[in-house]
Amino acid sequence: MAKGFYTDTTACIGCKACQVACHQWNDIPAAEGGRTELSGDSYDNTQTLSAENWRHVKFIEQITEDRTQEGFLQGSRWLMMSDVCKHCVHAACLEVCPTGAIIRTEFDSVFIQQDACNGCRACVAACPFGVVDIGRDGKAHKCTMCYDRLQNGREPACAQACPTESIRFGDIPDLMKLADARVAQLKEQHIDAYVYGKEDIVGGLNAFYVLVDEPHVYGLPEKPELGSKNVDEGFALSGVAAAALAVTGLVSFRKSRMDEKAGAATEDHH
Amino acid sequence: MHPALLQILAANPQSGVALPPRWGWYVILYFFLGGLAGGLLAIAAALDAVGDDRDREAVRLAHRLAFPLVLVCGALLTIDLGQPLRFWHMLIKSNRFPEPLLKPWSPISLGSWIVMVFAIIAFVEFLGTLADAPGDNAGDDVLTKWAWLAKFRRDTLVPARERVRSWPSAVHRTWQALAALAGLALAGYTGVLVTGTSRVAWHNARLMGALFLLSGASTAYALLMLLLVRRGRGAADTTVRKLGAADQWAVGFELLVLALMLISLGALGRPFWSGGFGVVFWLGVVGIGLIIPLARHWIALGPGEHGVTRAARCVLIGGFLLRVVIVMSPQYPAVPLWHL
Ligand code: SF4
Repeated sequence: MAKGFYTDTTACIGCKACQVACHQWNDIPAAEGGRTELSGDSYDNTQTLSAENWRHVKFIEQITEDRTQEGFLQGSRWLMMSDVCKHCVHAACLEVCPTGAIIRTEFDSVFIQQDACNGCRACVAACPFGVVDIGRDGKAHKCTMCYDRLQNGREPACAQACPTESIRFGDIPDLMKLADARVAQLKEQHIDAYVYGKEDIVGGLNAFYVLVDEPHVYGLPEKPELGSKNVDEGFALSGVAAAALAVTGLVSFRKSRMDEKAGAATEDHH
Repeated sequence: MHPALLQILAANPQSGVALPPRWGWYVILYFFLGGLAGGLLAIAAALDAVGDDRDREAVRLAHRLAFPLVLVCGALLTIDLGQPLRFWHMLIKSNRFPEPLLKPWSPISLGSWIVMVFAIIAFVEFLGTLADAPGDNAGDDVLTKWAWLAKFRRDTLVPARERVRSWPSAVHRTWQALAALAGLALAGYTGVLVTGTSRVAWHNARLMGALFLLSGASTAYALLMLLLVRRGRGAADTTVRKLGAADQWAVGFELLVLALMLISLGALGRPFWSGGFGVVFWLGVVGIGLIIPLARHWIALGPGEHGVTRAARCVLIGGFLLRVVIVMSPQYPAVPLWHL
């Protein structure tokens, strides 16, 4: 049974317990030796997913110009979202990996085998979500969905640590039911919620989200494509170019011979 | 999240937000030299097939160069890896040695095999040039300097070549076709490699493979002409003229494909033609690399050989800068000229 994460962004309070738990369980050192550098971007100082941050809580501040509006937040709101590898059903990283280091596990998660990765970085360029990154060891790193914990019947560290159950772990169909119910509930409250990561997004995401604004607001692509989508066409068009080259090359190489023969013939004639 | 990134996302719903793979100078050099090596082997095969005795020198030159070039390519690819000692993981399953590993749908996996097959063919052709009479080729003095090499040549290479020569012509034709194919594949796949990513400008450039292939061929023509002229062949020499005529076609097609690619990309192609890289693109790639060589009959590049060598140099410079712009600009879009 496919396992995964359902993240209800409306329940996220931005506490970053998931980030901390991830670092702790997976024994990931802090970037730059733990030197704290304030990013100047809200409470977000890790900025992006990276080789050191396999979870990243995004802070999206939507503050209205006009602060005189009625209501608790005067029309403003904060969106928070704990980002992670989506463990895509059609995973671009896995598809492109030339060493076979990236595999799909028995839990349907996408896993990078560190002993096989040679740091070619093809997966970095392929992932449409900007997830994979190269670490200081020259190898590709990303969320493992706590493969070691799953194999021992435990849930991933982030999901266990999340105090608001914004991140839930389980069987995908069960999680999807929960997400659909949550969307219905939010819609009743006139909040425009939807599930991001059903089959329309690269065949489905095993880490999917309930969002309340356009995907791009959360830094997510609306309709991501697999890197390989245009590859066949690319090769076919290269074939056309190769044919054109071959014809003009062979004709040019032969033509001068013809010209010469013609020249010699006229000279003979004279 | 950076506001510029949000804007890109809003404008291009089909795109991803792939991180830059940090491909730099090794990759740029590899793309350029790989195109050159591929072009050389393909051109040599064609010249060998339909040319005459006067073209032999160009064929041998190409064969002398293609193999060392692909060795350099292999070295560049290896040192570019995060774990260089694991380069063989590209071809062999590391946990099931020695089972081969090929994922034909992944350009980088397919490309590793293309480099491998190309290197084998180029090596055989290189050995063939060693069997030529000493003095026929550049760098031949080592044949006489190193006794073991002279012996190897006399006892092994020369008899082997005589044997190969006696094989039916169908075998030779097939070999030539194979060599040409391997050359074109090496020159072209690197373009498809970038199409196979999720960075918007690369991903949507379906013509990149065709562009790289044409550029690889045109730079190889140019290099051969340059070397022939240096070896005393004049601008009126038949081989130089043949190569020149073919190069004009290749450069012409390249310009056409580049234009079609930019049109089909629309605003998505912005990294290529705007900002600091845009200056390099318009002046270096288009101006020096394509327009000047194409118009060499109308603009005076100097008489005879001077015209030929200047045009050839322009093609080579343009071909290199093309790889610089294509590799760097989508990774580091907003770089102003003074930061390049
Ligand atoms: S989100 Fe990226 S890294 Fe994760 S499975 Fe999908 S393609 Fe691979």
